[in-house]
Amino acid sequence: MSLGPEATFLVDLLAIYSIYLIINTSLNLEFGYAGIPNFGKVLAVGVGAFVAAAVPGRVLAGMAGIGGDYIGDNIAIMAQVNAWLVDNTGAGFAVFFATLAVAAAVGAAVGLATAYPAIRLRGDYLAITLLAFGEGMRVIGINYAEIAGGTLGVQLPDPLAWLPQDLRFPAATVGLVIMAAAAVIYGDRLVRSPLGRLLRAVRDNELAAASVGKDVMRARTKTIMVAAAMAAVAGALYAFYVGGAISFAYDRLNWTFWPFMMVLIGGLANSRGVLVGTLLFVLVRKLITFYKDSLQGIVPFDVVWLDYLLLGAVLIAVLLYRPQGLLPEGPTPTIRAPGEAAPAPLSARLAAIARRLAGG
Amino acid sequence: MRRPRPWHVAAGAAAAAAIALAASPAGPAPDPILSAAVIYSSLLVLLAIGLTLTYMTTRVPNFAHASSAAIGVYAALVVSRVWEASPYLAIPIAFAIAGATSVSLYALVLRPLIRKRASQAIQMISTLAFDLILIAALNILADHIVREYHVTAREFTLRSYDAQVGDLPAVLFVAPVAIAGIVIALHLALKRTRFGIAMRATIENPDLSSVVGINVQRVYAVSWLLGGGLAGVAGALMSLWFQGDPGLGALLIPSIFAASIVGGFTSIYGAVAGGALVGLAEILGTRWLAGELGSWVIAYRPLVPLAFIAATLMLAPRGLAGVDWRALGRRLHVARA
Repeated sequence: MSLGPEATFLVDLLAIYSIYLIINTSLNLEFGYAGIPNFGKVLAVGVGAFVAAAVPGRVLAGMAGIGGDYIGDNIAIMAQVNAWLVDNTGAGFAVFFATLAVAAAVGAAVGLATAYPAIRLRGDYLAITLLAFGEGMRVIGINYAEIAGGTLGVQLPDPLAWLPQDLRFPAATVGLVIMAAAAVIYGDRLVRSPLGRLLRAVRDNELAAASVGKDVMRARTKTIMVAAAMAAVAGALYAFYVGGAISFAYDRLNWTFWPFMMVLIGGLANSRGVLVGTLLFVLVRKLITFYKDSLQGIVPFDVVWLDYLLLGAVLIAVLLYRPQGLLPEGPTPTIRAPGEAAPAPLSARLAAIARRLAGG
Repeated sequence: MRRPRPWHVAAGAAAAAAIALAASPAGPAPDPILSAAVIYSSLLVLLAIGLTLTYMTTRVPNFAHASSAAIGVYAALVVSRVWEASPYLAIPIAFAIAGATSVSLYALVLRPLIRKRASQAIQMISTLAFDLILIAALNILADHIVREYHVTAREFTLRSYDAQVGDLPAVLFVAPVAIAGIVIALHLALKRTRFGIAMRATIENPDLSSVVGINVQRVYAVSWLLGGGLAGVAGALMSLWFQGDPGLGALLIPSIFAASIVGGFTSIYGAVAGGALVGLAEILGTRWLAGELGSWVIAYRPLVPLAFIAATLMLAPRGLAGVDWRALGRRLHVARA
């Protein structure tokens, strides 16, 4: 049995969608609800991937009794580890989930470190500082080979090595979809909690929130830590999904700029906006890659740059003409007052937007 | 903030010239590291001045600023390798194209956003989006140059196209002298011309300036033209010593921000000091550390701007221009006594 190109396309699309959903939910918490422009989103994602690159491979090689230089003989060691994992499924899963927990903890620690400037600096200085932090992470990852193999990268153990080749990616995707759903539901619960209301109050008027005795700094620190932990888990999941990690891949464009773009297109500060914005973005990019060969005849340059031109222009257009995004932030959901009408379902609202866009 | 006087500028220019001289005729083969340090810090000064000019007016850090330098790099490539003329002819062309790009970012994207009262974060993101379009355009141009003219357009250098002064490349002298000239010209323009006074008034209080009849938007547009144009000039000179690539902007941007923040972000003289400090530290500092600790340090050079940003924000958040040097000196004097 082998998957056709359409099925492979769908599986990969769903996997990338799920990973970006987790990252975008965390970015939405920071930027949409708390108003913190985290231009160093790649930092937490990359740290999560570094944990996945450095820890589980060494642990499993130790458990299986495979010796050797983990970075130098990485490919040989990982081939043995994956062969060992076929018969030791339980150990594979245990190490996998433990890695995610470690990634979350390290991510939260990184969040605490970024919270130090984030609660002290103004928006623009903060954005520049966080951006520089993200670049610093990459420089260390590229040059300090013990973490993620430096310029060569490392391979990761595959907890799904026991599955037949054709089922490995679909199974991984199912797992990713479940985790993304959990992240989105968690994010949604969090912003409906008192913390979410406090964050919006702080974002809209910090002074007013502080004057009624709210601890603004604590709320922001907590948000950044939670968001960084989520992003780190997403980074680790991505490394496990593709089966390897290389520092070059954790760049500003893919893990800071694209998430901002998805969240802004969908609409800040609501989880439906994240769902829609992420889907649109991932779909457009995947379709461009999928139809690359046919597009190559139409555009007079390398199709890679079509992505950049198109998405850059779309984002500017959205910021200028629909700053609230496709789905604007709604009122805080509360218990309905007696006699109040139920809110329109999502499908009806999307239809209304489509009518408006069509000029009706 | 105390007003800098012309002799401050003259002293800065003299210091730059002294460094250039120190790098020059000491022996038959001067240390290329010193040349690199002089050229790099001169260009960082120019880039920081440009970024500061745009930030002073609109208060948006322009994340597309470094790509204006990449535009200058490609102007120099086309002039020297396609037209086969002196790369120095690219300077006015680079100024014009990079300046026009920068003005269009202001006029087409930022001004409408400011009018719609978009938040500063949204304005910053719009400059990132604009940068993406510039990077794509530069890459398309690079591909085109390779295909049409069979000329290397990625990871190239134009070192061999530079003129020679004695044994030394001309850019080693042109860069610091050009910086000194530009700083003096900017100083005179800001202090002595009507437009300069209008500009300073607008920076201090845009609402009041528009009340007295200053065309605030034109002032902003001119500062963006100058800011982008100077970055283009820096790029055109840069390719004569360093490697040019469409991705140059991404490598430069932390250093440019570090230089501007060290300088206080709202002072042209601060930008001069910040650019010189960060540039020299990046090249000579890492070299010295490599001598002390081992050559592995060199790869971590990109962490230097990060360290400068962190140190400035913790110790003197308003940058060098915000430090009250006289009070500091008095305090040190008292402590010593």
